[in-house]
Amino acid sequence: MEQNKQVKIVNPEKGTWNNIVLSEIDYKAANGKYRIRGCGSPRKVPNFDDLVILPGQCTRMTIDTYREDCETRVVLGKRFAKNPIVLETPIMIAGMSFGALSKNAKIALSKATAMTGTLISNGEGGCLPEELENSYRQSIQILASRMGFKKELLFQADMLEILYGIGAKPGLAGHLMGEKITDEISKIRQIPAGIDLHSHPRSGDAFGADDLVVKMKQLREITNWETPIFAKIAASRVREDIKIAVKVGFDGIILDGCTAGTGAAPVMAADHLGIPTMPALVQAVRTLEEMNVKDEVSLIVSGGIKDGADMAKAIAIGADAVAIGTAAMIAMGCRVCMNCQAGQCAFGIGTQNPEQVAKLDIDVAARRVANYIEAMTAEAVLLAKAAGKTKLSNLEREDLRSMTLESCAMTGIPLAGSDLVIGQGFGYTASNTL
Amino acid sequence: MEHINAAKIDSDKINQVIRECIKKGEKEIRISNIHAMHNVAAGLCGDASVTFEDSTGLYTASYLEGPTVTINGNVGWYAGDNMVSGELIIKQNTGCNVGAYIAGGNLVVYGNTGSRVGYGMKGGTIIIGGNAGRWAGQLSMGGTLIILGNCGPAIGESMFTGKIFTRDPQAEEKMGGNVIYDEITIEEAAELDSLFAAYGFEAKGAEFHVIRPILDPSGKHKYVLFKPELNKEGAAKYKASGRNGGCYGAE
Repeated sequence: MEQNKQVKIVNPEKGTWNNIVLSEIDYKAANGKYRIRGCGSPRKVPNFDDLVILPGQCTRMTIDTYREDCETRVVLGKRFAKNPIVLETPIMIAGMSFGALSKNAKIALSKATAMTGTLISNGEGGCLPEELENSYRQSIQILASRMGFKKELLFQADMLEILYGIGAKPGLAGHLMGEKITDEISKIRQIPAGIDLHSHPRSGDAFGADDLVVKMKQLREITNWETPIFAKIAASRVREDIKIAVKVGFDGIILDGCTAGTGAAPVMAADHLGIPTMPALVQAVRTLEEMNVKDEVSLIVSGGIKDGADMAKAIAIGADAVAIGTAAMIAMGCRVCMNCQAGQCAFGIGTQNPEQVAKLDIDVAARRVANYIEAMTAEAVLLAKAAGKTKLSNLEREDLRSMTLESCAMTGIPLAGSDLVIGQGFGYTASNTL
Repeated sequence: MEHINAAKIDSDKINQVIRECIKKGEKEIRISNIHAMHNVAAGLCGDASVTFEDSTGLYTASYLEGPTVTINGNVGWYAGDNMVSGELIIKQNTGCNVGAYIAGGNLVVYGNTGSRVGYGMKGGTIIIGGNAGRWAGQLSMGGTLIILGNCGPAIGESMFTGKIFTRDPQAEEKMGGNVIYDEITIEEAAELDSLFAAYGFEAKGAEFHVIRPILDPSGKHKYVLFKPELNKEGAAKYKASGRNGGCYGAE
């Protein structure tokens, strides 16, 4: 009998020690610091694909997909503001800065909003005049850094967002690596060119909820109660954060889940901070309902929204609209290389290199993003009509079922094919007996 | 001169009353019995001198653009927040975060101020006649901060751009990260002398030093970020007297 023949293990499953983990350890061993990465987290987390929509059959009459109407228009920020925003489709472009994105990309995105009748948020670092000129409706963020922020933007904005955090790196400030801080961006942001920017972590003009109540009155007075004021919150202690935002007096909330994208974030932050978009949304809706303000306070959800199904399910859970960031970049040509922080985007989107920026044709990119928004709206409408709705906003949680025990437990939406609800129900009175 | 008695005016109406006075062309407005209302003179624009005879609350003269606002009493936190232009003159003391994000104009405090004066300031000039708390000028992006009294710890922490003038003899030891302690130039001293004369401070520019963002020899910002310090000496102590001696932490 032959003894101890040397036979190598072929392509072993390495469990914990997969290629991503090896790569991260190699990076830290070589550099003595953690990695900064673009695009957010590649982690698999429970998401809207874990839900399905129930179509109308005997119990509900369906609406003709190809011949009958389904309203998509949405009104946002009507709680206290005199001039709420009316959008033709409940899809807004999320805040992405000039700096993280090229000027061409920002202009293309704003043009796409004009083609589709929706809203764009400026992101950190001021608002390009070209973005303001081309956008259908403009949201202006008030961030802890105030980089590029000017008083006149309060009056030019159709909506204001006080930003507490973003889903990709909640609890951290903005990152913009030196490769992207050109002279133009340095001038707008009033920071030295070429530094690796880690911007202001906390707002210097409100240190807590009590201050915020007074701050809100300040902004209301300056804007004459005309402009809707939203809070942008990363999904964390959603219940408590939403309660504070409501008490402070915001017109609406933008809730950003942990699958949201960014131009640059520490890997640790993107992968391990915050909770996923879908359960965060459920918790937000529950809280607004408990406070009896669900119909007053607008709720926009973001973080990994990719198609009309995500949007339809988010609306069914209780969102008024969704915000897209990475998906809009992909529509322009981004292939999610996750290297945005390096500022060498071959598609001219996440770069400030003039030669690369020139590769992005503004009008072509704008048309593609507009096409994507139109198609995504049509997808959501298709699902809503199949469920028997003549308005997108008529989708409701009763139209949903969970596909996994995990999503069932996280959302309180019954498991498909059963009446099983695990944990706290979400308005269902189903029997929990197996 | 127009006199407004604020005793019977709601806090959310007082600015409207002031705005209407300015709109009518009043150049000098005095307001009594303001009783520490918040947001007074917030977003005020135009060309007028507005004086509050007693103390005011939070966000006094925030987003101010044009007028000269004088507070004869004390002022709460966030005075001059996001101020654009004009003057905010505070005769006594203030709370914290005064002049946060100021972009222009002159903000003058004759008394002491709390922590984080000039946080994220982007322009304009802030003069503190008395002492300032910790983190003065933190993460500033421009402008000039002058402190005539003592500074608190971590002054100038991680300034991006801007200048802090101080004559606190211990200022260098109190500095935050990413800044240097530098000599004042003749031009800068003259600029300070002119401001001191304008606002009645008995001080000389030549007495001051400047805290500036740290630059490398090429003139580029030499920005260093926090990194946990691992104390190998501390670890050695435990090895020698802890495990071997059977008593953790013993000397």
